[in-house]
Amino acid sequence: MSYIEIKCGDVLASVVFIIEGELNEIPQADAISNHITTCAPCAAEIEHERAMHQMLQDVLKRSCNEQAPEDLHESIHRQLRAQMAGAPSVVTQFSMTEISIEIDEFGNVEHREIQIEQTHIQHFIDDED
Amino acid sequence: MASKDLVLESAADRNTRFERDALVFTNQLYAAALRYTKNPEDARDLVQDTYLKAFASFHQFEEGTNLRAWLYRVLTTTFINTYRKDQRRPQISNNELEEWQVAEAQSHTSDQGKSAEVEALENLPDSDIKRALQEIPEEFRIVVYLADVEGFSYKEIAEIVGAPAGTVMSRLHRGRKQLREKLASYAKELGYSVSDSTSPDSDKKGGSK
Repeated sequence: MSYIEIKCGDVLASVVFIIEGELNEIPQADAISNHITTCAPCAAEIEHERAMHQMLQDVLKRSCNEQAPEDLHESIHRQLRAQMAGAPSVVTQFSMTEISIEIDEFGNVEHREIQIEQTHIQHFIDDED
Repeated sequence: MASKDLVLESAADRNTRFERDALVFTNQLYAAALRYTKNPEDARDLVQDTYLKAFASFHQFEEGTNLRAWLYRVLTTTFINTYRKDQRRPQISNNELEEWQVAEAQSHTSDQGKSAEVEALENLPDSDIKRALQEIPEEFRIVVYLADVEGFSYKEIAEIVGAPAGTVMSRLHRGRKQLREKLASYAKELGYSVSDSTSPDSDKKGGSK
């Protein structure tokens, strides 16, 4: 269990796992943890790496915060609406046949069939703009 | 009529849901796209394509799972498949994981070296930070961005970029390292003594003990 088992170099090579909180992902996790508790230079190094990582994250977040141009928002919105309009819509088709049979007083049969068709297409666009 | 109502409702609802839940990430995706493509025109197109693709396959997205991660996956794969195609940059070798674990000689840094690095990082302007990010290889840039700006876990990043988790870890490690080296060299240009704290003009030795 002593830190002789593992070299400082091995600990430092695993620093990314330590910083990500994923030390358990590597087989030497226990040996590394033990080493850090007993080796002051390694502990200091990891402390420094954590601090640097935090700073790096801070400066990266600060620098990379561009806003999308206003017309990009609009353009995406417009294109999505167009795609929605062109997207599969619900098509409802009615078909109705009216049948009438008339028999007059002389026994003549008059048979009529009228077919009524109606197609209704429903698009999903809001009319607000 | 009941079945027709259902169809009508779900399609319309899905559209509403997409607009409500996905479009809030436009600014974030644009900033990421700027880092990926390195120029505003391509970044615009990439974000637009991302939304159109995401919308077209939104029915495949499982509600309740991470929409932001899913959008980043669409963004990243769209970038890799379309915008990068003609650039012909060499890919990082497959055995990168082994490489960095064995080959890298690790040693302790001096305390002076540490404080100089902190000072440099504190004083660099945003433009230098972005420049450094642009100069590191794309595979590194993407994972560092996803981890350190967007805060994704390395397992989420593995899903987003479609690479094994171990590969992501190695890229993260190397990417951050290269980024810090770049920043240190800019800082040196600006007059901060970063790499070596003893003699003024000695070359970078890593400040090892």
